[in-house]
This record gives sequence, structure tokens and C-alpha cells, in this order.
Amino acid sequence: MDALSLGIGHLLTLPVLVSVFAGTVLGVIVGVLPGLGSVVGITMVLPFTFTLGQIPALALMLGIYCGSVYGGSISAIVINTPGTPQAAATALDGYPMARRGEADLAIGWTTAASVIGGLFSVAVLIVAAPQLAAFSLNFTAIEYFALGVFALICIANVSRGAMLKGLLSGVIGLFVATVGVDHVTGDMRFTFDNFEMTAGISLVPAIVGLFALSEVFVRASETHVLKETSMFRVGFRLPPWSEWKPRLGILFKSCAIGSFVGALPGTGAATAAFISYSEAKRSSPRRDRLGTGEPDGLVAAESANNAVTGSAMVPTLALGIPGDPVTAVMLGTFVVHGLAPGPRLFTEHLDLVYAVFFILIAVNLLMFVVGAVGAQAFTRVLRIPEPILMASVVVISLIGAYGVRGNPIDLIIAFVFGVVGFLFRKNGFPLAPMVIGMVLSEMIENSLRQGLLITRGDFLAFFERPIALALFVLTAAILLWPPIRWALDRRGKANTKNMDWTSE
Amino acid sequence: MVRTSVQHAVLAGAVALGLGAALSVDAQAFPEKPVTIIVPFGAGGGTDITTRTLAGPMAEALGTEIVVKNTAGAGGTIGAAETARARPDGYTVGMMPVGPMTTQPHLRRLPYGPDSFDYICLAYSAPSSLVVRKDSPFNSLKDMIDYAKANPGKLNYGIQAVGSIPHVAGLGVKEASGADFQFIPFKGSAPTFKAMLDGTVDMFVAHISFLTKNADQVKSIAMLMDERVATAEDLPTAKDQGFDLNFPIWGGIVAPKGIPAEAKEKLEAACEAGMKSDAFGERMSQLRMPVTYMSGSDFEAFVRSEFARNEGLLAKAGLKKN
Repeated sequence: MDALSLGIGHLLTLPVLVSVFAGTVLGVIVGVLPGLGSVVGITMVLPFTFTLGQIPALALMLGIYCGSVYGGSISAIVINTPGTPQAAATALDGYPMARRGEADLAIGWTTAASVIGGLFSVAVLIVAAPQLAAFSLNFTAIEYFALGVFALICIANVSRGAMLKGLLSGVIGLFVATVGVDHVTGDMRFTFDNFEMTAGISLVPAIVGLFALSEVFVRASETHVLKETSMFRVGFRLPPWSEWKPRLGILFKSCAIGSFVGALPGTGAATAAFISYSEAKRSSPRRDRLGTGEPDGLVAAESANNAVTGSAMVPTLALGIPGDPVTAVMLGTFVVHGLAPGPRLFTEHLDLVYAVFFILIAVNLLMFVVGAVGAQAFTRVLRIPEPILMASVVVISLIGAYGVRGNPIDLIIAFVFGVVGFLFRKNGFPLAPMVIGMVLSEMIENSLRQGLLITRGDFLAFFERPIALALFVLTAAILLWPPIRWALDRRGKANTKNMDWTSE
Repeated sequence: MVRTSVQHAVLAGAVALGLGAALSVDAQAFPEKPVTIIVPFGAGGGTDITTRTLAGPMAEALGTEIVVKNTAGAGGTIGAAETARARPDGYTVGMMPVGPMTTQPHLRRLPYGPDSFDYICLAYSAPSSLVVRKDSPFNSLKDMIDYAKANPGKLNYGIQAVGSIPHVAGLGVKEASGADFQFIPFKGSAPTFKAMLDGTVDMFVAHISFLTKNADQVKSIAMLMDERVATAEDLPTAKDQGFDLNFPIWGGIVAPKGIPAEAKEKLEAACEAGMKSDAFGERMSQLRMPVTYMSGSDFEAFVRSEFARNEGLLAKAGLKKN
């Protein structure tokens, strides 16, 4: 109880409150701008994190972290370009909604889902951090491989209706991520002796090209009928309770998926959002409408990716294992202040742990305010005349693509992926499977090869591990269920309808 | 980035005193515009933070702004190549760590090598340590080696990247002891550390700040240094245990080959002044890092000896491809 009040005391000081505010606002802004994300946000405030006290520094970084994961959804909705890779799944339903003139409502859905996802994961962090940390240690390379294979189902789930094209898109994504250094042997792959290519194809320029530039190309290629832009509603509209009620199941399932994935270091919010979206696509009563502007998709993607933020603190605080550059910098501030993250943090510096909890709660609540106020401005973007909007998208996206690594080749990569995205869209290939492939490729490949090194080349040993085995069985069951159900239906009803389970 | 208001005031004052003419002659000299330091890794990492810490006091000594630019990718080689290719005028330098300078060039053909640079100073050199889990039965190199010899092929050694210094150090341990263990490559320190906590790997080589940060969960069985470290006096070195294993994790400032002598002198002096400043010393002690300065010529000799030593170890392991 003492630590609890100390923790609240840490939050309720002017420097901390100012840092929470500044961090959240900055986080939402870098999240909204395509290409820029939490890492760029952290870079901008890095000098301050040294001079600020420890708690204000943590507040600043947590604000940027959560704000940027949320902010990415706004550009996904408004300009069909996920502001960060984490928001790629949000574009699938957010943009169709905005095209219908309901950007204000779409932002309402994602803002509420993000805040609920974020708060849910803080609750998980408060209740079960040490237990979750211990559980995450059951996940060795072999379990990561099984999880990666399981997550590949997402490709099939988001490709319904265009299964072959979706699978092809996914395979291209898996392949693209293998360009560059082979992390197990150190050899170079598919670089064609071009030195610049040895850095590989980074996710951000690829996504900026696939979504933003291709959108610009598509619009430029269409015969121009100037649309009545004022049909877009500006502002912020929360969906009514009657709309929420049937979606509570999806909401909490997605929160749980996000919190679980977040607790595994090195997986990340993009993976969580896709697994959750794909689960909604599999199980939602409104699954046929997913991809056409169905709120289920927004709820699933955004509550899951924001649920990652809180639970990513689990391995960071309880084990000292950072999941990404942001949590790594956070750990750095612990060291500077002479604190050791790890199990002892929870016994000896409980007030600090509570301070992190309260900061996270404050950040999530503030995110709601920033979203509601900011939406007034963000939705107005849709009323900007199309030529000006599209030109700005090109400039902003290319800045983002270059900003990640400071490598000029990323501009070429963004352009090439813009052309690929354009050809994909024109020919009905879905883009999301390619992103899923790129996100999962490295995890699947590296964990498979690490696992084989650990078992000294024995793949059958993978099935001796219970969690991995369960994931493999689940994967097989989900993939085999549609044909089995079809066969059962047919036998039951002696129905001679054509089998077309790929497009259901 | 770090021009102080005091400097502006001094400058303005000098001009006001009628020294404008003298100053304008002086202004032709180096530096007349900001200096960029390329960091070949992402923002927020160890190299980046050390560079940003040094940039402040170094800029003050140099009398110009210093911009830190992160060019990440391919194990730091993209940033190193960018530095080597930059115009040799002293306005673009790089903070180059041990990996891209002395191990990566052996793993594949790169558009640079030790001859592509002029050497300004060594900026940091942190001891590395062979770490195991706190509850591990190994308390010394000998414990580990005895076990490895009795149980060949049983031990797993985690590495943060193929050809990285922790990997080369592992090759050194293998060669010096004759112990047999399997290398398992991960991507970076965090997953390697996790693999040790989940029991997948038995040991890996880490930076001293990692050891202090995670003292609850890991212990050192040998500091891979010739001499005991001031910030960790109680930890035995490999040398104490009879093995010659010295694998510091270092980095220093280099410039593209052929910068003007004046620029080189001024950068070297600014680096030395920056490293001896209180601000830098204080920050380094918070990170449990010793302050280790070397002049440009000493640094060059050091880089070349490390380059040759690591070449030998990588060649014996069959990893040398260039």
C-alpha cells in the first residue's frame, strides 16, 4: 500500500505530468506521419531522457511508445497508409470506411479500441507481470517457430475471395525479407553484389511504397472525376453502445491476444494486430463484411496492437529483456539511475513499478483526448483537394522512408514497392498478405534454424515440446477444418453444391 | 547541435570589440561549419548513446556544432562505408565500433578497409565478460572447460551476430581451451539474453554494463581482459585463470582517408578534451564504463592489431570469406 501511494506520488508531479502530455502528443504525431514511428520519436527526445529525472524520462518514453502505436491508425484510415507497420491491419477496414465518408466514426472506433486495449494490458501487467514473465521463458526458439507458423494462417484468412493471389502475395513477402544478411551464417543473400542491398529491405520503406505511393499511382491512373470532397464528415464520432455490444467478444479476445503476444519479446504489435484481425476474420459473425469497412476489423487490430504496449513492459521490467529499441532505451535509463531490472525490481522498487503502471494508465486516457481533439484536424485532411493531398503524401512518405536508417537506397526501395503495390492493386492482389509475410519471415526462419541448432538437427524433437506441439496441432486444425466441415455438410445434407471453401 | 549561448555571446563580444577583422581571417580555418558524426547503428543503442554523450563536450572544444547521424544496417558496414566515401574535408567523421572495423571486413567483400580511414581517437573501450546464469554450476573458465570436455557437444554458446566480437571471443575461448560447444546465433543482445534465461544457451559474451545491469540474473566467469577492471575489481580475468583472452568492445572516431592535417589535429584535440570533460566522465561512470582515450596514431596501431588478430580467429573457424 505504501508503494502504491508512492507510485501515485511519482505520477502526480508537474514534470511527470508534463512529460506524459508531451510524450503522448509527440507519439501520436510521429505515429500519424507515415514512416516515422516510435524509434524516431525516441531519437528526438533522447537528449532529454538523460537530463530529466528517471520518472519523467520514463513518462516521456511511455507516452511516445503508446501514442505512436495508436497514431499509426489515423493515417491508415485517412490516407490508406499505415503510419507505422503496426497499423497495417487497420487500413484494411479503416480506409473503406473513410471512403464511405465515415472517417470520423472510424477514428472513434480505433481510438476507443486502442484505449481499451492499452488499459487492458496495463491491468494484465499489474495482475500478472511476474507470472507472465516466467511463462514467456517457456517460449524458446522452437516455440517461436511454432507461433510463427501459426501466425502464417493470417495470410489465408485475409486472402479469402482471392486465395491464390493472397498466397502469392504472402510468399513474396516472406521472400523479400530474406534479402540481405543471413543471420545464421553471416552470408549475403539476393543482394546481386550490390553493397547497398546488404542492409536488406527494411519494413518501413516497403510499407510506405506498398500503401502510400501505390495509392498515389492508382489515383493518378484513374480517369479524373473530381469528387465532392465535402461529403467526408470531419471530427470525431464515438459509435453508440448498441454498436459496441455485439463486438465485446471480439474486443476482449483481441485484447487478450495482444497482451499475450506483447509479453513475448521480439514479436511485436504488427504480429499481434494481424493474428487478432485474422481471428476476427475467422470467427466474427460479420466476417463476410471484413475488409469492406467493418468495425470488427478496426476493433480487432487496434485493441490488439495497443494491448502489446502494456504487456511489452513485462519482459522489460521483470526480466530486463527489451522487446524493441524503445524498451531498450527505457532500460538504459534504469541503469543510469543505478537500478537493475529483473525480479528484484518488483520487490525492492515496487513504487517505481507502480509509477510505470500509473503512467501507462494516464497515457492511455490522454490518448483518448488527443485522438478526439486531433481528429478534428486529421479528418479535414480528406477535404484537401486530391492533387495537393497526394503530392503531400509522396513527400511525407519519402521523408519517413529515408528517416528510418538514413540510407538513400530506402528511397529506391519505397519507389519499387510503390510500383509493385500499384500492379498488385490493379490486378486484384491483396497487399496485406505481403506485409504479414515480411513481418513473420525473419522470426520463422531464424527460430527454425536456431531450433535445429539446439536440437542438433533433429526436427522431430520440435514435437516433443508441449507448447510447440499444441500450436502445430492448432494450426493444422484451423487449416483442415473448412474442408472437413464441407465434407461433413455434404454427407449430412447430400448437398451437391460446388466446393468453394477458399472463397467463403 | 551543441553551440552554447555562451559561445554566441563571446563571439558577439569579440566582434563588438573590433576584432572582427582578425576573426574573419580565422573563420577560414577549420571548422567553419557543423561536423557530422555518422553512427553506424540505430539511435538509442550503446554506440549511439556514447557518441551523443561525447558530442556535447567535443563540440564545445571544437567551437562548432556536431550533428549525430544514424546510418544503420548490415552490421554497421553501411555507415562505415558512408564514412569512408565521404568527402575528406573533416566535416564528416564516423564513430566506428570494433565490428565494422575489424571483423566484418573479413566476412565479406566491403568497399572499405583499415586503409580507408584517417584515425582521430579511440572514444570508448569496455571490457567484455563471459557470462552464465546466476544459478549455473560454472564459477570459472575451468569449470566450464572441464564440463565441456567431459560432455562434448552439450554446451550452447549464444552469439549476438555472426562475426561479432562476442562470436570472435567465443572462437578465442574455444581455441585457447580446446573446449567444444555449439554456437547459436541470435539477432542482438536481448534475444541472446532471453535464450540464456530460458535455458537454450549456457553462456555468452556481454558488455560490462550488461553485467552490472543484470547482476541479479547473471554472473561473470571471466572478464575477457588482461587487467582487472576498476569498476569491477572483484571479478577475475581470463588472464588470472591462465588464458590470454582480451576482447574489449570498443569504438573510435575515424575520418575518410586524406583529411587536411589541420582538421585532423583539431578533431583529435577536441576528442581528447571532450573525453576528459566532467560531463563525459560522469555519464560514463553512470554507465559503468571506463574512460579510455587513445590518440589517433595509437588508435590506428590498435585497430590494425585487432584487425589481424580477428582475421586469424575467423580464418581458423572457416568464417573468413574475404
